[in-house]
Amino acid sequence: MSRVARPSFRRRLFAGFLAASLIPLLACSAMLLQIFRLRLAADAERETAEQLDLVSRSLDGAFDAFSQAAGRLRGNPIIARALAGEAGEDTLVNNELFNAAGEARSYGSFALYDLQGARRYSTRRDPLEEQLSPEWGALYAAPEGGVRFTACEDAGSSGGPLLRGAARLSDGMGRPVGYLLISMYYDDFRQLLEGKYGARNELIVLSPYWRPVYCAQPSLAESLAPRLRSRLLAGRGLDDSEEGFQYAAARHEASGLCLILQRPRTFTGETMRLLYTVSFGCAVVCVALSVLMSFKLSRQMFRPIQRLRQGFGEVGHNNLDICVPAEREDELGELARRFNEMVEALKRNQEALVANQRELNQAQIRMLQAQLNPHFLCNTLDTMKWISKINKVPQVAVMSTNLADILRFCISPEEFVPLGREAEILERYIEIQKIRMSGAFSFRVDLPEELRDCLIPKMILQPLVENAVLHGLEGVENGAVEVTAREEAGMLRITVRDNGSGLPPELAVGRYRSRGGKHLGLYNVNTILTKYYGDGCGLFLENERSGAAVTAALPIRREEEETC
Amino acid sequence: MKRKRLAAPLCALLLLLAGCGAEAPETAAYAPAEEERLVIYTSHKEEVYQPIVKEFEERTGIWVDVVAGGTNELLERIRSEADHPAADVMFGGGVESLASYRDCFAPYACEGAESIEARFRDGEDLWTPFSALPVVLVYNTKLVRPGRVTGWGDLLSPELRGRIAFADPAVSGSGFTALATFLLAADGGEEALLRAFAENLAGKQLEGSGEVLGAVAGGGALVGVTLEETALKRIAAGDDVALVYPADGTSCVPDASALIRGAAHEENAKAFLDFTVSEAVQRLLAEQFCRRSVRGDVEPAGELPALEDIALVDYDVEQASGRRDGLLMTWAFYLGEEEEK
Repeated sequence: MSRVARPSFRRRLFAGFLAASLIPLLACSAMLLQIFRLRLAADAERETAEQLDLVSRSLDGAFDAFSQAAGRLRGNPIIARALAGEAGEDTLVNNELFNAAGEARSYGSFALYDLQGARRYSTRRDPLEEQLSPEWGALYAAPEGGVRFTACEDAGSSGGPLLRGAARLSDGMGRPVGYLLISMYYDDFRQLLEGKYGARNELIVLSPYWRPVYCAQPSLAESLAPRLRSRLLAGRGLDDSEEGFQYAAARHEASGLCLILQRPRTFTGETMRLLYTVSFGCAVVCVALSVLMSFKLSRQMFRPIQRLRQGFGEVGHNNLDICVPAEREDELGELARRFNEMVEALKRNQEALVANQRELNQAQIRMLQAQLNPHFLCNTLDTMKWISKINKVPQVAVMSTNLADILRFCISPEEFVPLGREAEILERYIEIQKIRMSGAFSFRVDLPEELRDCLIPKMILQPLVENAVLHGLEGVENGAVEVTAREEAGMLRITVRDNGSGLPPELAVGRYRSRGGKHLGLYNVNTILTKYYGDGCGLFLENERSGAAVTAALPIRREEEETC
Repeated sequence: MKRKRLAAPLCALLLLLAGCGAEAPETAAYAPAEEERLVIYTSHKEEVYQPIVKEFEERTGIWVDVVAGGTNELLERIRSEADHPAADVMFGGGVESLASYRDCFAPYACEGAESIEARFRDGEDLWTPFSALPVVLVYNTKLVRPGRVTGWGDLLSPELRGRIAFADPAVSGSGFTALATFLLAADGGEEALLRAFAENLAGKQLEGSGEVLGAVAGGGALVGVTLEETALKRIAAGDDVALVYPADGTSCVPDASALIRGAAHEENAKAFLDFTVSEAVQRLLAEQFCRRSVRGDVEPAGELPALEDIALVDYDVEQASGRRDGLLMTWAFYLGEEEEK
């Protein structure tokens, strides 16, 4: 769970790649799709407009011919006379009619009706058109000038004319004599328009009120025209998304007819699906590439980081022998190198620490060894004291008493003692030494009262004094040993001076440095001081005019500080 | 978070790109303006309303939107749309039906109202009559001797028992008119007549008036009761059917058109009502639709007798439609009795 939620480096990398590749891809494909669609639509629209224009011009040709023919017939006196009922030769009138109609006859049939609506002359014989009502339809609508075209009521039903153009004819005096009726039949339209609007398209000719007039498939006009009309009246577009067709409309100005071109959708669902599939495929490839790239790149960056991480883990588990390979030259390589250096430093430090500890332990062991069987010695010394008193050997009594005190002090459990007490033990020791050496030297302790309660490690002064007595005063007449304690800058400085021959050359002046084996007393004291108080403390050696001075420097501590 | 902020404008961009296709219909330019429109509800058949509507469009330049349907269905629709009428004119429907929906219509005295025979007009001009439809008897010329059926009384003759084609008056408007006319014309008390007629039908009646002619022409029934127009059309189509105007009198209830109250295109609607009773349309009715004009100056076509030559009963539309429910209940009672037998 936390693995998933954790925003790992690799995941971020992946998201970055994905965003950087997928978004431009999607935007591009959407744009291309849109451009493609608009382009196709524009092409189709242009093509449609051209076709509609062609159809329109074809119709123009026919209607121009009609209006010219009507103009010729309108002014024809022979026809006017014939319609007015005056005797006229039928062939003559027919000749006039045919001549006037001219080429327009190929687009429609011409007929002349008298005022009662009875057909008198015609270029084609249609038995259903013998009689028309002058109060209804085309004849009623016939204007004085020009030709008015009206859709037939039963356009679409087989046989009858689809469109009628009517003009009112009058004689030279301006009196109406009859009508000219131009009828366009299905075949006329077909001949005029076929092949003008594309093989896959359908043309539907509608009246100005969007009633069907002509369609190459009459049944299509019958079913489609009412639908288109209701869509138009409802204010919707002609296109219906559920149909596989699109519609374009144009008005033919000369006749008022509406031309509707039905064309199959250029952008069908299938093409859209194909394009979407391609886009989707691209997106999938993109995602796969992103995954691959992010894996590869993140592995390149991740492996050194992973190694470093493992290295840190190992260090955490105290394994300092780890070494991270740092073959790379870049920042990560440097990071690994630094890590290695750090681990090495850490290792050195730890080793030093262990060595220190070992030394301390050894010193302690030595001290323990020094305490061996102390009670037996004490008791023996006490016995010796009493025997010597009985036998009146006072020196032995003093020595054994002092020795017993020193011994007790040594084996007492506390590690730190007040400076005053340490000084007392020193006095005891000196008493013994004076007896031993027949009082050949003087000893003085200069201990200020306020420093008496300072705590110092037990038995650190005795080795120093012993050193001074045994080595410093060797072969010196009137030897003197002086112990002074001073407080200096928060440090307790206890100096042991003698007036002997000074320090041997192997003991350099200044900070005491261990040189091994010899001077075990100094070595031990120094070790104890540095172990307890750190490197700032320890023994300092110097040669003065009248002998050597060994100074133990340590921080001032008192009883209460020790307890806390 | 950052990616989300980025995603929003991106989506907008995509939507914008995808949405470029939608645009206003360019064909809107071809649609007529509101004042050039008219919406008509009609119960006429297409062959009747289509030529009239087309001619009206050609003459006036008004685009007519026709909604065709059954009389009662359309009248119900008009009533339900009373607050916001979708239609301007109810074209068609017997005046008895229209009378039941008086509150849906606005009075209008059409142009040339004086040429319309007074008996067809409504007192308040709530409707404009369209054509006169006398109730007639029809018989099968192969099975029934001419002169055998002359009037309503013959429908009670035992010879015709169970062989009479009669449309259910509860369903068919003309069936109800016929029943009411029969009660007025035939001799005898109303209850007795209803009972006798139901008995002679032997409990059989047809689902609609359209089936009457088929039953008679096919020989399933010998005699039928229907409207003159329907009968004439079948006769013109060459069926073996003849029609008889009942000698004891018949009714001549017109169908009509009405201006719907609150119509959106009132002026156009009035123009259309004027047109329906114009001489041109009325003449077309008489000549092509076998209908009888409501105008006094338009003669019936062919050999049809003038209305004056037909015996008519004093049929009161208001009264008939007022007692419609009661009459139908009684009729259903007697007919049900017959059916049980």
